[in-house]
Amino acid sequence: MPPANRPPSPNGAPVHLAALGKDYGRFTALKALDLTVQEGTSLGFLGPNGAGKSTTIKIMTRLIRPSRGQATLFGLDVQREPTRALTRVGAVIETPEFYGYLTPLETLAYVGRLRRMARKDITARSEAVLKEVRLGEWAGHRIQEFSKGMKQRLAIAQALLHEPDLLVLDEPTSGLDPRGMAEIRDLIKSIKGKGRTIFMSSHLLGEVQEACDEVALLNHGELLLQGSVRDLSRGSGRSTFQATFLRPPTETELAALSGIAGIDEITPQGDGVFDLKISGGEEAQAAILEAMVRQGLRVTSFRPLGSPLEQLYLDRIKESDRI
Amino acid sequence: MMKDAFAQTLTVASYEVRKYLRGRRLIGMLVLLALIIGLILGVPPALGVKYASQPNVFVSTFAGFASLLVVLGGVLFAADALVSEHEKRTGYFLFPNPVRREVLVLGKLVASLVTSSMIISLYYLAATVAAVAVTGATTWEIGLSYAYALAYMAAVVGVAYLISAIFKSTVAATVLTFFLFTLIFAIVGSLLNLGKVAPWFIPTSAAGIIGDVLAPPTFGGPGGAFASFVPDATTSLLVFAAYFIAGSVLAILLFRRRELST
Repeated sequence: MPPANRPPSPNGAPVHLAALGKDYGRFTALKALDLTVQEGTSLGFLGPNGAGKSTTIKIMTRLIRPSRGQATLFGLDVQREPTRALTRVGAVIETPEFYGYLTPLETLAYVGRLRRMARKDITARSEAVLKEVRLGEWAGHRIQEFSKGMKQRLAIAQALLHEPDLLVLDEPTSGLDPRGMAEIRDLIKSIKGKGRTIFMSSHLLGEVQEACDEVALLNHGELLLQGSVRDLSRGSGRSTFQATFLRPPTETELAALSGIAGIDEITPQGDGVFDLKISGGEEAQAAILEAMVRQGLRVTSFRPLGSPLEQLYLDRIKESDRI
Repeated sequence: MMKDAFAQTLTVASYEVRKYLRGRRLIGMLVLLALIIGLILGVPPALGVKYASQPNVFVSTFAGFASLLVVLGGVLFAADALVSEHEKRTGYFLFPNPVRREVLVLGKLVASLVTSSMIISLYYLAATVAAVAVTGATTWEIGLSYAYALAYMAAVVGVAYLISAIFKSTVAATVLTFFLFTLIFAIVGSLLNLGKVAPWFIPTSAAGIIGDVLAPPTFGGPGGAFASFVPDATTSLLVFAAYFIAGSVLAILLFRRRELST
């Protein structure tokens, strides 16, 4: 949207959630979420199923009302000024259904006209976004013939039509096959490259690591942590490595293994394979490998099980589940 | 702001009309229309019965089926308009756009009224053409009957929207709308009649003016026991207006508050 047509943004961050909460009867889906996303940030909103991610996004896009707190987009309260607040936002909520009797071009024209875009802009942008999501050849086909993956791509196209400053994506690869997931991830990365703010919920850590530069972790309706993917990836301090030995270690060798500095826990997996919980970063990992070799253990492989961020994710979720 | 809302209402209405034009419902309705017209015009000659020579009496046969067409129009083109956005999940794509929910309801309402009016208009056009062909004349009363049918249609659509805003299933909303106007209101009207209470506020009773304006009822039993109560034209029109306004306003209020959380 041209800057002149944009509603004022009174020092408002693209997303600001203040003590946001939602109850469904006696069940609390969201407790009191405080979260701010700065302009140009690509935030991965992580959490297991039922953590409150979709609830948050539905409040942000006015599909449901909060029980307490406030959601503002670019400084505009979504509940009080929904139409102005959503003007600069493009959203894909779950896998939306479209009107089967329309074609993608007609669907985009509908969205464009609802958003009061000029006809020539609708035409030009429709062609561009359909090409971007690789639906160009299907532009004139009725949507009733489309697969779930095609509908998901169309959902992204309609969200991008008006060149939004904030893109809200709720589980954008949900239900897609591996190829479809990879395509959507590539698409998100290309959108991110254009400097837009992205708020993407997912329960897939790898997806968030690949597409986002910030992460917020939610569980049981509470924010557990927020930070940059880079910092959290290196800052957890603990990781799990899997060591495979040429032959199963003897009792003595195992005792020596557990005595190596930096190894906190050893879990046998059978057939000469052991999971090692390790403290420290890359230096510590190298030292442990050297120590094992020095002690005569014939190591055939020594590889990380998941990323440090995954470890942090699992630890925090486990901790939060215990509470 | 108002200009935007008006333009958005027209956009929603035009796409909804497109839905009806491309759907099977409209074709089904047109087939039904052709069947009714064909039967009304074809059965009397086949049985050796002469057509009525008075245009009002001739068209009154058509008017007798107008109420049913109005109800079918409401069922097919209004009853699922709101509930389907929730049940079929199209709301997930539509609602996050910067459009007020009341604008969506108003746009859909306009589309339902336009599409249903098209059916009624076609029906009355066929009846009028047939009346001119058979009797050589047409009357103002035919036009009045048409206007009353449109007013009744507005009442049906208003109530259908209210039901659509309340229910969670398109089937339930559609079935209830149909039986409300074909059975439930009729039963309530009859019971009120039995209790010596004039059912002037029941829309199906008020719909009697559609036929009565062409051929006033003949009493079938002592004391008019078999004649159903029909309020006067002004009361009937006020009843239609009340049902349309109350139904639409309540539908807007409910739809605004309804959450999309399935």
